[in-house]
Amino acid sequence: MGQRGTRPLIVTAACLVLVACNPTQSALHPAGDEAAGVAWLFWLMTGVGAAIWLIVIGITVYAVLGRRRPTTEWFADRFILVGGVAFPTVVLAALLVFGLSLLPSWTEDEAPDVRIHVRAEQFWWRVGYELPDGSVIETANEVHLPLGTTEFVLTSPDVIHSFWIPALGGKMDAIPGRTNVLRLTATRPGVYRGVCAEFCGTSHALMAFPVVVLGPEDFAAWLAGEALPASGEADIFIANGCGACHVVRGVSETGSVGPDLTHVASRSTIGAGTLANTAENLRRWIAAPDAVKPGVHMPAFAHLTDAELDALVRFLGGLR
Amino acid sequence: MANEVTPTAQAARLEATWARPPGWRMFSDVNNSAVGVWYAVAAFSFMMFAGALALIIRAQLAVPDNDLVSATTFNQLFSLHGTVMMFLFAVPVFEAVAIIVLPAMLGARDLPFPRLSAFGFWCFVIGGVFVCGSIFFDAAPDAGWFMYPPLSTEQSGIGADIWLLGLSFIEVASIAAAVELIVGVLKCRAPGMHINLTPLYGWYVLVVGGMILFAFPPLIAGDFLFELERAFDWPFFDVRRGGDPVLWQHLFWIFGHPEVYIIFLPAIALLAMIVPTFAQRPIAGYSWIVLSALGTGFLSFGLWVHHMFTTGLPAISLGFFSAASEAVAIPTGIQIFAFIATVMLGRVVRTVPMLFAIGALAIFIVGGLTGVMVAVAPFDFQVHDTYFIVAHLHYTLIGGMLFPVMAGIWYFYPFVTGRELRKHLGIWSFWLMFTGFNVAFLPMHLTGLLGMPRRVFTYGPERGWDWLNLMSTVGAFVLAAGFLLLVFDCVRPRRAAAPRNPWAAGTLEWLAPLPAPGYGLRAIPEVGSRYPLWDDETLSARIDRGEGLLADAEEGRRETLVTTVLDAKPLQVLRVGGPTWMPALAAAGLGGVFIFATWKLWLLVLVSGAFFLVVLLRWLWTGTAEIPEKETKDIGDGRRLPLHSAGPYSTGWWAMFITLTGDLTAFLSLVFGYFFFWTVHEDFPPSGIDGPGWQWPLASGLLVLGGWAATLAARFANARGAMRRARFLLAVGMLTGAGSIAALLAGPWLAGLDPTAHSYPAIVWALVAWIALHLAVGLLMQGYCIARSIFGRLTPRHDADLWNVTLYWHFTACCTLLTAIVIGGFPEAA
Amino acid sequence: MSEPVVSEVKRETGSGTDLWRIIVSPTIWAVHFLASYVTVAVFCEKAGRAAALAPAEVAVIAYTAAALAGIGWSTWGLWRVRGRSLTDDDFEYEHNTPEERHRFLSHVALMLCLLSAVAVIYVAIPMLYLSSCR
Repeated sequence: MGQRGTRPLIVTAACLVLVACNPTQSALHPAGDEAAGVAWLFWLMTGVGAAIWLIVIGITVYAVLGRRRPTTEWFADRFILVGGVAFPTVVLAALLVFGLSLLPSWTEDEAPDVRIHVRAEQFWWRVGYELPDGSVIETANEVHLPLGTTEFVLTSPDVIHSFWIPALGGKMDAIPGRTNVLRLTATRPGVYRGVCAEFCGTSHALMAFPVVVLGPEDFAAWLAGEALPASGEADIFIANGCGACHVVRGVSETGSVGPDLTHVASRSTIGAGTLANTAENLRRWIAAPDAVKPGVHMPAFAHLTDAELDALVRFLGGLR
Repeated sequence: MANEVTPTAQAARLEATWARPPGWRMFSDVNNSAVGVWYAVAAFSFMMFAGALALIIRAQLAVPDNDLVSATTFNQLFSLHGTVMMFLFAVPVFEAVAIIVLPAMLGARDLPFPRLSAFGFWCFVIGGVFVCGSIFFDAAPDAGWFMYPPLSTEQSGIGADIWLLGLSFIEVASIAAAVELIVGVLKCRAPGMHINLTPLYGWYVLVVGGMILFAFPPLIAGDFLFELERAFDWPFFDVRRGGDPVLWQHLFWIFGHPEVYIIFLPAIALLAMIVPTFAQRPIAGYSWIVLSALGTGFLSFGLWVHHMFTTGLPAISLGFFSAASEAVAIPTGIQIFAFIATVMLGRVVRTVPMLFAIGALAIFIVGGLTGVMVAVAPFDFQVHDTYFIVAHLHYTLIGGMLFPVMAGIWYFYPFVTGRELRKHLGIWSFWLMFTGFNVAFLPMHLTGLLGMPRRVFTYGPERGWDWLNLMSTVGAFVLAAGFLLLVFDCVRPRRAAAPRNPWAAGTLEWLAPLPAPGYGLRAIPEVGSRYPLWDDETLSARIDRGEGLLADAEEGRRETLVTTVLDAKPLQVLRVGGPTWMPALAAAGLGGVFIFATWKLWLLVLVSGAFFLVVLLRWLWTGTAEIPEKETKDIGDGRRLPLHSAGPYSTGWWAMFITLTGDLTAFLSLVFGYFFFWTVHEDFPPSGIDGPGWQWPLASGLLVLGGWAATLAARFANARGAMRRARFLLAVGMLTGAGSIAALLAGPWLAGLDPTAHSYPAIVWALVAWIALHLAVGLLMQGYCIARSIFGRLTPRHDADLWNVTLYWHFTACCTLLTAIVIGGFPEAA
Repeated sequence: MSEPVVSEVKRETGSGTDLWRIIVSPTIWAVHFLASYVTVAVFCEKAGRAAALAPAEVAVIAYTAAALAGIGWSTWGLWRVRGRSLTDDDFEYEHNTPEERHRFLSHVALMLCLLSAVAVIYVAIPMLYLSSCR
């Protein structure tokens, strides 16, 4: 794996030349063990594949265009036997074995560093962090994890979604009626991005989540902060019925059909990765969520006056 | 004139017998040369429609945060693009080409069941128009071309139902095609065309015909369950009531993976005919190719879960499918190497079809290599559902199907029209298509790995995918331009006629003057090699003079030869159907059933169904199992062959057997559904819901045995001349059959099983409904035989109807017994 | 080129290796594949994801042995034919007699036995590397 350092460099260089790509959602810029293994395999298979293609097409084009005596039947027979039968049989078997060795274990005897319960809904993510005592701190639409192994427990109450953080590793579907488990091993702190990767309805394209990888102490500190309840002047929140769907621990805990907003101000995005978390965007969202995200289940609050919206946004902005 | 035996008179009679009806009546023709062309035109029309949808998709994705189309429209666009391309183009186009080209290639006048092909065509067109038209009413399917539940089963609107509707038609057309092609290749070759001398195209479509029988039925079963859930709320895929969405995925992909090989193999088969022609030598490795086609066909059935690698199945399960997915690359590769070896051994003539053929290989091999990559499960965990897969699937489909079909269009254009396409336009269209395609799809490999998922209607500017998407869009338009150039060349007004056998090819379809006449071959040759035109230079002239078999149509009937399977010894003269409106009317009736069901207009469904039955019965009565006016007929060369056969040697019996094999697979897929639910549930039947008991199913099983025995006994009695006894036995068979239906329904009914309560009663009722329907058809068949016997159309000597009906009863009785054991016996044992 | 050897092998029309025979080995592969997958899938579902694969492994190994034995038996029967083409003593089989057709189909069947055996082994390989239902 000594080449791990150079591959991202090559890709980044290519990217800069061509596309100025963003590595936070890239499988070719690994920040985790699983992604790294696959990226390395990808480059190997691409290299070998490109060589095979060049040779085979080269022979074909030469055979068509070249001015030469036609080959002998003996050579053609060997060509089919070696190129078509022997070589693939051996190479494919080797590839199969190598691929099998890369299959992760989704459940291990060893406990993960943290277990996160993710419930994928149309079109957002309910994220719950399991504490050592078994209780779960619920939040939404943003995932924080420590360096090391995280186990994601995936469910869905409505349709099939898929949970994917390209920079860390492969994806796993969240299927109604099933509980799937995905383990990822993060190796580089930073901010990445995950998406829903199974078509789940109108706004499937707008169902993403920032992923923050922290060192173990930073993560513990963050989790401790996340566990604290919120406080603030919540009249406007409750008066407009927001509490019927959104939990703000310490303030309103009646309904949890929608995302938990206890520490919403500490998140970088709203609407599941759709808009940056600014006051302006919050106003836009609350007034007409359907315009931002077609098919979203949150009703529009267009009837709110500017003053009411300001107060609401101020309240939400205080929920760090 | 009527009885002259001069070559001119013979030719005139052939001409008249096979002539296309004039004016608008031409649409009642069933000749393969007519139906095949309509099929191709329809398939390409749908393809261009789907292509236009793709261009809109690409326009939307050309820049980030675009609002050219809304999310809801976009979701319909990509779903319809995939659905139309896969179901209304890729499979039908292979059927179309086979219908046009196969008979002449094999030395036959037509396929053995022309009216069946026509019926398949009309079903296809009706279904296609509905599915494509839906988007203009904002009612297109919008959950992807494989429509995963629960999203697709629970969404409101009619899109999912339209999708099912379209599929139903295609399923019918495909089973019809399988029947035609299998019987055609095995039994309708020219005398002397031993199986080792059969053109490779014939071998390929034979393999594909067999694959259809095992691939489409699981989809039919899945659609049956899907429709029951949509229309009647039977919870097969609803987890709240014991359903499981993964069952759909299994059923769909057991179809879906072989489907792509069903698409790929007939296209490669075209290359197997084209490459030898332009390498000016026989194909190298004929036996390698035959075994590889067979091997690919079989192995392709072991890949399906690789579409489900991320659903959380155990690693060992994934391992099996990873292994098979790697293994299938071996026979696939052998074929490609054989084509290349042929090129290496020959002296290649540079033509446009050859250009498309090389381009096809260049593109397909990329797809094959990325296929090997995604077969490695951990790699697939990253790229599944991303643009990498979009790239892979387009490389394999466009390289493995579209480009070979373009080569085929170019190659067979003179065969169909008698004109040639313009070479420089062909070269331009090739390079535009080849360049456009690669510019569009090669970047997608990177786009997917950089994190862009499939089926997203837009993406943000900060993602860094802008240039990649823009490139893909530009490429797509260039590809479209190249394709349209080819279309233009095909349809624009003509000039010079093509010379005979313009490519100096060696196989029989090039025997005839161009355009190929309605009757195909002037006379049927006796064949002694794989490339008769190369090995016998006098063949063309001799056949032109009528020096072959069946050189006449004395009775004014359309005829072709039936020969033995392995060594093509002449067996029978087969009279095939002539122009009739029955197939179109039957398709309209069946169409009505599916279409009105989509809008739940049940009365109209019944009316359409009745109309369909009436037309079908009339078709069967007037046009099948006919008693010929003489026992044998002179086919020329001093030989006489029978005009009639019944039982295991007859084409009708084969058609029934093949159809029932497909039917059996669909039934077994339903049984698989039952045991799938048992596998994923702790308790199955669930506690609190009783089974139908063992008594009623047992009664049903015993009664069906009675019905079966009576039917079989009727056939024996009839053959011995005891026609009254035979009719009586058939009546007994009808009664016991009806009893069997009643007993089968009684079990769940009296146990109070509510199919909307849980997946267990739902699957029990689904099995029971399936069998009840089949038994009812069996009763109809018995009644039909009684009527035929009474009216003298079924005699001891000519008993094809009875042979086919008893065959039906063999299958149906076995399925009934299995159902009784499963629903009655399994709950007791479990 | 030397005179092609057309030996005096008389064969009845329609006798010899037929189409059903050539698909025997691929069918064995298919049955082996289905049996292995279904056994493992049902076992893991019922025993739970933490279960060791051992009992199912035994079954799959048994299936593999049986499949290879079946393919081997079919191969042996075909190996005895071992006929090259009557025309050019190669594997092209272009001659137009029933004997040539018989040799052709036997050759195709033999190669399919090999391919099926390779495919059976491929499918059994995962059993060597995975030992639990995870």
